Amino acid sequence: MLARIKSNGVIRVGTDPNYAPQSFQKADGTFDGFDVEVANEIAKRLGVTVKFETPDFSVVEAGNWADRFDISVGSMTVSEKRKGVLDFTEPYYFTPAQMAVIKDIGITSLDGLAGKKICVGEGTTYYQWLTGTLVLGDGGALAPVPAGAEALTQKTDQDCAQSVKSGRRDADGWLSSSTTVQEAIDKGTPFVTVGDPLFFEPLAVATDKAAPPHAELQAELDRIVKEMHTDGTLSKLSMKWFDKDLTTKQ
Amino acid sequence: MAVAQAAVQAPIVDAIAQAQRAARRDFMLKFSLTWAVIIAALGLVIYATGNADPAFTLEWGPFILAGIGLTIFICVTSITGATILAVLGALGRLSVNPFLNGLASLYVSLVRGTPLIVQIYFIFYALPLMGVVLDPIPAGIIALSFNYGAYMTEIFRAGIQAVPRGQREAAQALGMPEGLIMRRIVLPQATRIVVPAIGNDFVAMIKDSSLVSVVGLQELLWRANTVGRSNQQIIQALLIAALVYWALTIVFSYFQARLEKRLAKGDR
Repeated sequence: MLARIKSNGVIRVGTDPNYAPQSFQKADGTFDGFDVEVANEIAKRLGVTVKFETPDFSVVEAGNWADRFDISVGSMTVSEKRKGVLDFTEPYYFTPAQMAVIKDIGITSLDGLAGKKICVGEGTTYYQWLTGTLVLGDGGALAPVPAGAEALTQKTDQDCAQSVKSGRRDADGWLSSSTTVQEAIDKGTPFVTVGDPLFFEPLAVATDKAAPPHAELQAELDRIVKEMHTDGTLSKLSMKWFDKDLTTKQ
Repeated sequence: MAVAQAAVQAPIVDAIAQAQRAARRDFMLKFSLTWAVIIAALGLVIYATGNADPAFTLEWGPFILAGIGLTIFICVTSITGATILAVLGALGRLSVNPFLNGLASLYVSLVRGTPLIVQIYFIFYALPLMGVVLDPIPAGIIALSFNYGAYMTEIFRAGIQAVPRGQREAAQALGMPEGLIMRRIVLPQATRIVVPAIGNDFVAMIKDSSLVSVVGLQELLWRANTVGRSNQQIIQALLIAALVYWALTIVFSYFQARLEKRLAKGDR
């Protein structure tokens, strides 16, 4: 696959057009965001250009991409279940999973969410944590799930925030990465964070196990990610988009 | 005597015609007024929700509207594919060959019996697992062609059957082979009969093409939806999309009306 990408001069990257600040689409059709810049940098170091595709996250997460795109640089958490269908590089950054609740409900601790509805994105580790099926790829610890808390899924994490911002109150809480939650709060969505981070996720670049032979591509991607760590590129991008360096394990 | 009668009748005929024209003008005026009032009222209601943001339309409008090209391309290609499938399907349904008849009937029953969106998902997500991987655009076009082809098969079948038997019998009496009868006599007349129904289907397809957005095709609705949700301007974005679909429908309906008028010239 590496040879094919190099001879075409293009690498097809799966991204989310609605996952600010990691990735989002602009009015002229181009993409921007932390993940987008990481993808552009990876392509640059491979000596090719990027073509962004926009499959649903649940499609990317399930593997079996039918060769519709080559890699996913989409802040995907390395979990045991996903390792079964996807090949991951070494993590390019780590985020804490942060719980948030709607401001006027008045919940101040995680226990207050017992029996409540929590909005999560489809196919995300946040959904898996809520339903008790999450096993992190690096064996990281998970906080206990509030008793009886129910998951309410939307297509993407941002849909949860956007529906609350437009006035809907289908769920009481929202679980997503701390970066996404902070972005929504900064934009004025009436959420407030509650409790400490529930777990820390290693996020990596992924390729499809069912794709054509890609051992060389995988090795190259790993090498590039390691390089971007040591030469500070990832830290710089992290500071730019998140105001903190999330590239080392917390 | 006849000239005198005509001279008396002419002004009366003129007066009647004028009265009819005035009545028609009156009707059209009140009709247009009703449209204008209702649309203005709807516009006011939407404006009053406080969500109207002209800056959003200026910034993202072009991006959303850029999806029109793809939407029209999908529709035109799909209706062509559907028409071809429909003619074949109709011939199959009318065939005396039990295999062809069975095939065509199964096609119609199966495809009319499952939701279009299920077919779209199936072609895009399920076929790859059987080894057939299609890009979003071909997948969308195939799904729409297949689906509309089944409905249009029945329309064409009815159209073919509506061509007067006398036509066929006369052709047979002239010694024309069956294939030539179908091709030169029956099908052309059947086409004229089915044009209104086909036009109707094309109008419906303009809207159904929006379903292809579920497989990530960046046509009109996908753009409006994505942009609207990520910018908290879903009302405006969807309104833009809705207005564009409406405009496309109106434009096409106008051309369809002209085509029908043109084809009906032989009747007058």
